[in-house]
Amino acid sequence: MAVFLLPAILFMAATFLLPLVVVAYTSISGEAGLTLEHYRELFSRPLYAIVLKNTLEISVLSTALTLLLGYPIAYHLSRQSPARRAFLIILVLLPFWTSILVKSFAFTVLLGHNGLINSVLVSALGSGARIKLLFNRPGVIIGMTHFLLPFMVFTILASLVTQNPDLRRAAEIMGAGRVRIFWNVTLPLSMPGVLAGVLFCMILSLGMFVTPALLGGRTDLMISNLVDFHVRETLNWNVAAAVSMCLILLTAVFTIMLARIRGGQLLEAAR
Amino acid sequence: MTQEAGRRSPLSVAVSIAAWFAYGFLVLPSLIIIPMSFSDKDEFVFPPQTLSFYLYEKYFFESNWMAATVESLKVAAGTTTLSVALGVGAAYALTRTEFPGKKLLTVFLLSPIFVPVIVVALGLYLYLGSARLTGTTFALVVGHTVVTIPFVIVTTLAGLRHIDRNLEVAATVMGASKWTVLRRVTLPLLRPTILVASLFSFLISFDEVVISYFIANVQRQTLPVRMYSSIHWEISPVLAAISALLTGLSLVVCLFVAFLQKGRAVG
Repeated sequence: MAVFLLPAILFMAATFLLPLVVVAYTSISGEAGLTLEHYRELFSRPLYAIVLKNTLEISVLSTALTLLLGYPIAYHLSRQSPARRAFLIILVLLPFWTSILVKSFAFTVLLGHNGLINSVLVSALGSGARIKLLFNRPGVIIGMTHFLLPFMVFTILASLVTQNPDLRRAAEIMGAGRVRIFWNVTLPLSMPGVLAGVLFCMILSLGMFVTPALLGGRTDLMISNLVDFHVRETLNWNVAAAVSMCLILLTAVFTIMLARIRGGQLLEAAR
Repeated sequence: MTQEAGRRSPLSVAVSIAAWFAYGFLVLPSLIIIPMSFSDKDEFVFPPQTLSFYLYEKYFFESNWMAATVESLKVAAGTTTLSVALGVGAAYALTRTEFPGKKLLTVFLLSPIFVPVIVVALGLYLYLGSARLTGTTFALVVGHTVVTIPFVIVTTLAGLRHIDRNLEVAATVMGASKWTVLRRVTLPLLRPTILVASLFSFLISFDEVVISYFIANVQRQTLPVRMYSSIHWEISPVLAAISALLTGLSLVVCLFVAFLQKGRAVG
């Protein structure tokens, strides 16, 4: 029955692996054979260091904000009766299955210069109260947090619902209060889930393209936007490929960390 | 657990407030678009003063929006067929056979989840471009299938774990060949899983934008690519109607999948 694997493997080799090899090759090919000049260009110009710094800052901030919002949702969901949880989880699934373009459009309507938030602020506090929330750092971070939140919630929720409730009961019988049980039992036991959620959100944010392109500042680029810029504006495919390789390397670091703590679980399904 | 929720400690009140704030943040942005989509003008008024289908008419009768939608539907249908055929077979082989290097192969088949889409998009752009295939529906189907296959495999692996292996064993004992067992026992039991996997691939493909943005051309845009350009360059109010429709579509899929999975948990 292993023969059923063959079509998928051949397909992925031809349409996933080979294109990645083409990117790797393009990043080192020059007019006179193989060269590292495209990578040298990345290190010689300040633009690339700035973009790398932007990407890391935006990713870390969005992931932190996502954790801050995601943990309470996951904890709240884990403490509901199955029927109520089934309903509340739809509130997380709906944005998960909503097109990123619908979300981006919604945020341009909400956060824009004459958007809903600013209209409310202006009518309540006067025209001086207007704040700039779109086409800048806050806009990207709000949009990315919204995108990442379901991923974080599901990862943490999985680690919360698999906890043995007897441990909490034991702590309660021994006289621990609710806050103490949370700090000493529930939270430490959920740390693997938190760590996996944080790493996965970092992997996703480092490669984000649509949100920074639509909600971010036109000069506040992330790595993905730089790839697009080189393909469309400068038509320099070699540099675009070199930037892509750096992006892959960066996400690979986080993927390896995730595999260290979660690899077994992902593969367990296949056993 | 219900007793814990019954007694309201300060901690649980604080958690509830934080959680409901986050729920609001998750669902309100796309819901707010729905009332705006009934505007009768080419501008946004909130709260809406009218109940008009003006923007919906524009969406349905302005040919270029509709052409993009039709292209997206075609691509999503092709992607669903291809990725379910390849993914379900692969997941079946992964659970029912043992061979050296299985782990590595599983990692390889699921790896598109962890590789930034923009890199895959650039790769396909360079690779399909050299074969003069960019801009075709075929190229879009192939590109989207790379993204949907891991989801089909993961969903099917989970579904296969829920199947009682004894039913397959019983059929084999009664003299059924491997093929008959697969066709008459395993596949019928997998039907709900395959349905969920198909819905997922359809929706992922229908909403996919990064790969399409790289390999589609101007004459043959998908709906998300058109939406992307419209948000990027000049916001068209028609977007409100489209967004409301897409939110409705996501809601239907969510409820349907929740319903299917509830049936499985009970049955």
